[in-house]
Amino acid sequence: MKIRAIRHVRGFDVARPISIGVMLGIMLPLVLLPLLSIFVYGTNKGLGTFWSALVAPEAIFALKLSMVTSFWATLFNVIFGLFAAYVLSRYDFWGRNAVIVTISLPTAIPTAVAGFALLLLWGPNATLGRLLNSQGVQLMFTPYAIILANIFVTFPLAFGVIKPVFDTMSRSMEEASATIGATRWQTFWYVTLPSLRGAIVGGALLTFARAVGEFGSTILVSGNLAERTQTAPLYIFAKFNEGQIEAANAIAIVLALLSFVIFSVLFFARDWLEWESQET
Amino acid sequence: MTPKMALASDSGQLHVSWAPDREQRTGVAASVLSISKRFKKARVLEDITFDVAEGESLVLLGASGSGKTTILRIIAGLELPDKGRVILHGKDVTDLPARERGVGVIFQAYALFPRMTVEKNIGFGLKIRRVPRKERKETVNRLLKLVQLEEHRKKYPWQLSGGQQQRVAIARTLAYKPQVLLFDEPFGALDAQTRVKLRREIRALLRQVKVPAVFITHDQEEALELGDRIAVLNNGHLEQIGTPDEVYNQPATEYVATFLGAANLLLGVVSEGSVEIGSARLPAAKETRRFREGQSVKLVFRPEDVCVSQDANLPEGCRRLANGVIEEVNFVGAYERLNVRLDLTHRRQTENEAPLYQVTINTPERMTGVPIMVTRPKPEANATKFKAGDRVAVGLTSFSVLANYTLARQR
Repeated sequence: MKIRAIRHVRGFDVARPISIGVMLGIMLPLVLLPLLSIFVYGTNKGLGTFWSALVAPEAIFALKLSMVTSFWATLFNVIFGLFAAYVLSRYDFWGRNAVIVTISLPTAIPTAVAGFALLLLWGPNATLGRLLNSQGVQLMFTPYAIILANIFVTFPLAFGVIKPVFDTMSRSMEEASATIGATRWQTFWYVTLPSLRGAIVGGALLTFARAVGEFGSTILVSGNLAERTQTAPLYIFAKFNEGQIEAANAIAIVLALLSFVIFSVLFFARDWLEWESQET
Repeated sequence: MTPKMALASDSGQLHVSWAPDREQRTGVAASVLSISKRFKKARVLEDITFDVAEGESLVLLGASGSGKTTILRIIAGLELPDKGRVILHGKDVTDLPARERGVGVIFQAYALFPRMTVEKNIGFGLKIRRVPRKERKETVNRLLKLVQLEEHRKKYPWQLSGGQQQRVAIARTLAYKPQVLLFDEPFGALDAQTRVKLRREIRALLRQVKVPAVFITHDQEEALELGDRIAVLNNGHLEQIGTPDEVYNQPATEYVATFLGAANLLLGVVSEGSVEIGSARLPAAKETRRFREGQSVKLVFRPEDVCVSQDANLPEGCRRLANGVIEEVNFVGAYERLNVRLDLTHRRQTENEAPLYQVTINTPERMTGVPIMVTRPKPEANATKFKAGDRVAVGLTSFSVLANYTLARQR
């Protein structure tokens, strides 16, 4: 049979199953199988092993530390991102574009470089670190260093989501609010902020997901001390190096599920978050 | 000019006279005094001064870039003038921020708050003024009724049509009793039918609430219908301010004449109490009084102020201008439009030539004539039919003579 004959058999488009098949065939070994293997290997010694690996004090501590440090980094970056986006879309000043580029820079920097840079500034023998040391404060190799690294690495994420919404928001809405008699703060609180709700939630989830998974910078600034400065990704790395595959795998499953949940929310809740701002 | 008619709204409560009510114009509600404004190098406004009386609607009419929006923004406090003052009800507000001026601005794109319902949008001004909830609710109810949106109170802006959104925007400003309402091209985003309907509604509404209003538009029909007075702006200059009748029938400048309605324009010279245009002489003793002999002037007249006749007898009150040839007859619904080419070429009369009909413009030289546009009402058009090629005598019932300062602009 000639190819031409099978191409359109009674309205059946052969290109469709073939394209879908090729796409899935490429994705399978690259993305789906690695994810699947976490779950398969993590549970093949029985759920009991998985559970005991999960509730080990070291593992619990690592997960908690990851959550807490990511939470503070997210809180900071969402608030700062909101503020920076407001300033940079409302006011024009000399060097504004340079600032926008700089804010977005941390996404492009390798995380190990970021961690190294932080050490060079805040480390015990570094410029600012020595100043803090003289006050009896040590920042590096503490949970605060992890928060600092998370802030640095996730800096542009919330900003990047919120800024475009600010840019496209009509100025006349805020002007209307001002002529009605609202102060700047009232206008921001009642008019601007509600329109940013979707962007804020989206930016926060993105920042949190990224911060929880951060490894490169964290391992340099935290010292990787078990039950003191060891976050979940560092725990996975440490246990893997010690040959405790089950312990590493249990945490890996939790982190994978967490990202999965966060990105599902981002994907499916987008319409929900934005529904009120639909245009006619 | 404006026809007197009573408008009964759907609810049957409103009976409003359409004609401007001069008695209402007592005190001055808002004044703009010698406002000037530059943006970078460009001069946007130059020495603009006008008043808006209590209960009056003033229309700022101008092309885009004429500076009309800037004036509105300066009154609202959204823009600062370089020079000049803004006075609202006797108080100098030039240095006050927008929120302390108590003006209501209705934006072209409505600018409703997307995350608030209709009710909350309308009540916003009261909420931030800390008006008690009960009183707030009463005011919102009253306004919802006034703009006839009671059944839409729980809806969000995106669930409303453009006209409905605009009515919410008006109610939202009326809630806090603004000193003056400022409409920034309020009908620009609406379709033609809604536009006419909404502008009549707003007109009726303003009569009811008696809040002075400033409208911005580039639509002359809108200006004539909405304005108790019209201010025509051109390139940051105030060309003329007056009632629709004054601005339309006695345009002070060529720009006003051509921007507001159609106008014919002929260049001439003042000569012994008449205007000389080529070989034609139009007696105009009164109109030329303020010009000196030999001064270059422009003769401006509306298409409907031209009378044409196939015999030499023009109707009473119609001053003879020249002869012409009908070039084109168009019937455009309510009236008939004629293109007439006037014979204004200066030439010596040839021998045996009849004084009226043997004119050069029906010969190969005809293109040297000057075309004008004439409109005739239906009854007149039906009584005497014209066809292309007919020779006519042309006269004017009304016209203006303006000094020829500037080069003729594109009309």
